[in-house]
Amino acid sequence: MLPEYYEFICPVKILSGLKALSNLPYELTLLGAKRPLIVTDKGVVRAGLLKLVMEAFSESDIEPGIVFDETPPDSGSAVVNKVAKLFKDNKCDSFVAVGGGSVIDTAKCANMIVVEGTNDLMKFQGVDRLEKDMKPFVVIPTTAGTGSEVTSAAVIYDEASHTKMAFTSSKLFPKAAILDPRMTMTMPAKISAATGMDALTHAAEAYYCLAKNPVSDGFAIAAIRLIFENLLTTVKEPKNKEARLAMLNASLLAGAAFSNSLVGVVHGIAHATGGVARVPHGVANSILLPFGMENNFKKVGPIIGELAPFMGMPPTGKPMKDAENAVAAVRKLGKQLKDASGLPTKLSEAGVTKEQLPEIAKAAINDGSCTINPEEITYEVALDILKKAF
Amino acid sequence: MKQKTSTVKPTLSYRLKKTVVGIALLALGGTFEKVSKHSAELKEEIKDWRKGIVISLGVLPKGPAISLKEENGTIRYLGRGYKNPDVKILFKNMDSAFIPFTAQMGSHIAFVQHRALVHGSVVDGIKANRAMAIVQAYLLPGIVFGKVFKVPPKLTLKQKLFKLYVYLTMGIDMALNAAK
Ligand SMILES: NC(=O)c1ccc[n+]([C@@H]2O[C@H](COP(=O)([O-])OP(=O)(O)OC[C@H]3O[C@@H](n4cnc5c(N)ncnc54)[C@H](O)[C@@H]3O)[C@@H](O)[C@H]2O)c1
Ligand SMILES: [Fe+2]
Repeated sequence: MLPEYYEFICPVKILSGLKALSNLPYELTLLGAKRPLIVTDKGVVRAGLLKLVMEAFSESDIEPGIVFDETPPDSGSAVVNKVAKLFKDNKCDSFVAVGGGSVIDTAKCANMIVVEGTNDLMKFQGVDRLEKDMKPFVVIPTTAGTGSEVTSAAVIYDEASHTKMAFTSSKLFPKAAILDPRMTMTMPAKISAATGMDALTHAAEAYYCLAKNPVSDGFAIAAIRLIFENLLTTVKEPKNKEARLAMLNASLLAGAAFSNSLVGVVHGIAHATGGVARVPHGVANSILLPFGMENNFKKVGPIIGELAPFMGMPPTGKPMKDAENAVAAVRKLGKQLKDASGLPTKLSEAGVTKEQLPEIAKAAINDGSCTINPEEITYEVALDILKKAF
Repeated sequence: MKQKTSTVKPTLSYRLKKTVVGIALLALGGTFEKVSKHSAELKEEIKDWRKGIVISLGVLPKGPAISLKEENGTIRYLGRGYKNPDVKILFKNMDSAFIPFTAQMGSHIAFVQHRALVHGSVVDGIKANRAMAIVQAYLLPGIVFGKVFKVPPKLTLKQKLFKLYVYLTMGIDMALNAAK
């Protein structure tokens, strides 16, 4: 059934394939850029990935102005301001992000500061607040999970108010996303597993939550199929180029789906679990996804059931049986990833204590994702999900 | 022939919708203030708000708007227009606002359908939205609950009596508030 009304946007050029990275100078030239600032982090540099990027610039007209490699996991306003200052001091004209969601969000926010000419991001919080076009911005993801290379969102921690600031604007889309499997082959098994489950959660929640639409449905289903066919392989055979490229594509497809259809209670609780107990985003999503799906059985069970065939479960002709099978398939994948990489399947295994559950539930109901969840998420419902997942 | 947009007169339907949405906002503002003084459930919600926060609700580009302020654990209706708000909940146009404001749709669907958006902290916007749902349970007739809420609220006898009081005094309140 078509929704009464929907919107969809994904204006990012996609370059996907082995050695796609070699096109970076060409793409920057198309964008009129000559002196990019490269944003990355220590883990990415240590894995030798920055070297690959630098090699791509050889014999081109493009010369990176400076490399910033100190992005921390939960990047904050201080870091973002520092990056923006480096941009100006080194006369850069564009941004290239080489990393996972943390690096990409840092580059998005620094870009915002540069063009808006302010170091106070507070006033841009919310939806559609940006009026100026961003500097040319190319993303090279090194994890296959957040899909930030095709999302209009960025989240950054504000040290002054101790809160996370969220920005959504069509101006925040990168101009191009380069998917090169060499960039994710070095990802440790557990991070591959966790980020892949983040992508699965984006696709699943985009498919069954309230803002679903036929375009994002297509992206979500394509993502789910690729994830079930390839995620476990990337964890078991890190150097498998085909599987790595497939997961990069899955993450991008899921990102395009949820950037438009948003996510639900799983993300709402996962954000809160990250905030209160510092559980990595993908780990929290992976643990919570089966419970979030079950939470929505009453409202959208048959829609969840539609996903079963793309998770390796043949349709039974009974929609609710299919829904149960879809949840069972997600649980099975979680268990296989646990055996292969140590990815936790319970909150207690991820360092969460029982005493933290009420605080997490309280934060979760203030997360925008819960608004988009089909089932109403009250404090009691959130706490119940947390207890089940503990 | 090309027409300058500034010379396009608002249609009758637009002006009607604007009037209805304006009245609905006025009723919401006054009722918010009243319910915040009586409902334990709403007080519990407001306890969690930033002290002194101002929230505005309005229709773009030049439609009606109201402002509400947290004051000592209750809500004060500041009047029409944007009074230096920390957070704005905005409807993109009059058509987008009309359906939710005539109780044909819940606020969650207004967000899902890109009718409404938040300027400012999303967390503050979500809190305001949840409080608004409590107020709506007193403002709207039970018959539309199924359309407006994910889980229709069940009012106790005491709450129903208070709702009756809200209804009986709404006219006077609106007349008094109209000047603000
Ligand atoms: N903007 C959005 O739409 C959006 C969506 C979801 C999540 N996020 C944000 O993304 C962040 C999480 O991103 P993430 O899951 O990609 O993790 P991440 O970027 O924090 O990276 C995790 C770790 O993996 C290392 N790493 C990354 N790629 C590697 C590689 N190829 N080889 C070796 N090590 C590598 C990094 O150095 C880092 O230590 C969160 O802060 C979250 O808020 C943003
Ligand atoms: Fe996510």
